Amino acid sequence: MTERRSARHAGGPGESLTRWLVSLPPTLFLLVFFLAPALLMLGASFREPGDFGGLAPARQDGQWNLSLETYRFFFGDWIYAEIFLRSFLVAAATTLLCLVLAYPLALAIARSARRHRDLLVLLVILPFASNFLIRIYAWIIVLGPADLLYSPFAVIAGMVYVHLPFMILPLYTNLEKHDPALLEAAQDLGADTWTRFRRITLPLSLPGIWAGSALVFIPVLGMFAIPELLGGTGDILVGNLIKEQFLESRDWPLGATLSILLTIAVLLLAGISAWAGRPRRSSP
Amino acid sequence: MRVVRRLALLLLGALATPAHAEDVLYLYIWNSYLSEDTVRRFEAQCQCRVNQDYYSDNEEMLAKLEAGATGYDLVVPTGFAVETLLRKAALRPLDKARLPNLANLKAEFREPWYDPGMRYAVPYATTVTLLGYNARRLAQLGLPTDTWALIFEPRYLEKLKGKVTVLNSQRELMAAAMKYLGYSVQEIDPARWDEAKRLILRAKPYWATFSNSTYIKDLAIGNIWLAHGYSSDMYRAQQDALEAKRPFAIEFRTPKEGAVLAVDSFVLLKGGQRPDLAHRFIDFILDGTNAADVSNLIGAGNPNAAATPHIRPEIAGNPGIFPPPGDLRRLEMLRDFDPKTRRILSRMWTEIKVR
Repeated sequence: MTERRSARHAGGPGESLTRWLVSLPPTLFLLVFFLAPALLMLGASFREPGDFGGLAPARQDGQWNLSLETYRFFFGDWIYAEIFLRSFLVAAATTLLCLVLAYPLALAIARSARRHRDLLVLLVILPFASNFLIRIYAWIIVLGPADLLYSPFAVIAGMVYVHLPFMILPLYTNLEKHDPALLEAAQDLGADTWTRFRRITLPLSLPGIWAGSALVFIPVLGMFAIPELLGGTGDILVGNLIKEQFLESRDWPLGATLSILLTIAVLLLAGISAWAGRPRRSSP
Repeated sequence: MRVVRRLALLLLGALATPAHAEDVLYLYIWNSYLSEDTVRRFEAQCQCRVNQDYYSDNEEMLAKLEAGATGYDLVVPTGFAVETLLRKAALRPLDKARLPNLANLKAEFREPWYDPGMRYAVPYATTVTLLGYNARRLAQLGLPTDTWALIFEPRYLEKLKGKVTVLNSQRELMAAAMKYLGYSVQEIDPARWDEAKRLILRAKPYWATFSNSTYIKDLAIGNIWLAHGYSSDMYRAQQDALEAKRPFAIEFRTPKEGAVLAVDSFVLLKGGQRPDLAHRFIDFILDGTNAADVSNLIGAGNPNAAATPHIRPEIAGNPGIFPPPGDLRRLEMLRDFDPKTRRILSRMWTEIKVR
């Protein structure tokens, strides 16, 4: 921290160069490993499925074998759009539940004695120590005898369980930084607990809420293992649909089209989230 | 996706290149399809090492080979995937002079449709897609156990609501429906597909879920009373229930209307470096005592006649694992559909899931 501060004090072109050099590798990494597969998918979505899976040659007998056929197929009826919509609803419900469950906990950790905080945060991330699939199998054992297994409830429960830490951590990081003096001042001015929360804590924590929501919503949208293991006969989500196209149906163009459309939807949402969570100068 | 796969393959390639000249056979095979014991005996005999990689379905294996995975000498695809690899010209013909034990194979496995004359593929193990059930529960309910009607007819399903799982596989579930309706599993007549779809949709509300693997545990625990699945998985559920000393037994049998038979075979990949070791390995497995391992280990059927005396009698005598001749006639192997048909089926499958 001190080093960075001194670098900033030094200022000048050296500092900005260092900053560039340091942030270049991760930027390149993200760019290449996000853009390259996305472009490959985009290309695949215009091609035709190969006889045994994979893709048919893009160019055959001197003619390009590219078309919008797969997109036409996707938009040809409501089935695929319906699964998208359903996935968005499941993701929204999971995000909301995570938020409701995580907020009080994150607040409690942020306001606990400083020496306990690291331990509490450690406890939040402790479940990551065991494999995700093993934890889902544990849910099968928990829900099985209660006759709750293989239902939309089981899917949401599994989703919330797995993604809760991703909501708690950004919320905690945000809440921990709040200046207690603000709340004291409000109290001195006669604001009750609820008003202090509503007028001070909540607005200040909005960036944390948006960050947590994005971290939960987006992975849930693409999740296929949980609906497959915990869901019933009707709990198909877009992740399952995409996986099916690449494996069982071996229809890569359709899988690619679904992936591209999902990516676009996620980018739109991430954009909205970033915009909504942008730091604001004036607060009400 | 591709890039990631390429990288994975690069890594794999690096692993597949031996650091020093050592005799290594590279085998790409199903999960737990070869016992440690069998491998060790072969390694001792050939003074070489067997390096195994695993897959859990044919599509995964085909996808990986399609993406350019190299270095494997032997793969163990199911019939339709043998056909796929053959049509892609990815296979090396067998040198039968190096396979004296080939004579051990049963006559009914010597002329597979996907490989006339057995020029490329040596059958290793078989499974049947059938019904596994909690024998006590079904007896209490007075239900039959030998018909697909159990998973399709509401009059039976009413007693089993929420206690039934079917495979999460378009081909397998459609095949079961087709067999129940008296058609071939290769049926592509749209009117008959529609008939099968209506049958499935009518039964779906009674099913607990589509499951490809969890049914093993669910049957063994008693959560599920009836499951559509593979004979080798049912065998495992049966053994698990026995070991856990459950008050019920898991049994399985081939429905009288017929079912899907899967034959998995060893094939040599053209890209393999050690066809010599691959032939030695196949011939080693073709020996009766070694061939019996796969039946004794995972309850798979066996195309090897010389293996029969070495297979535990309760396995050799189980008609769900070793279909008697009458059953065998009613079994059909799946053949791959062309891309257009696959897309129509997948669209119908999605509709089944959503409704």
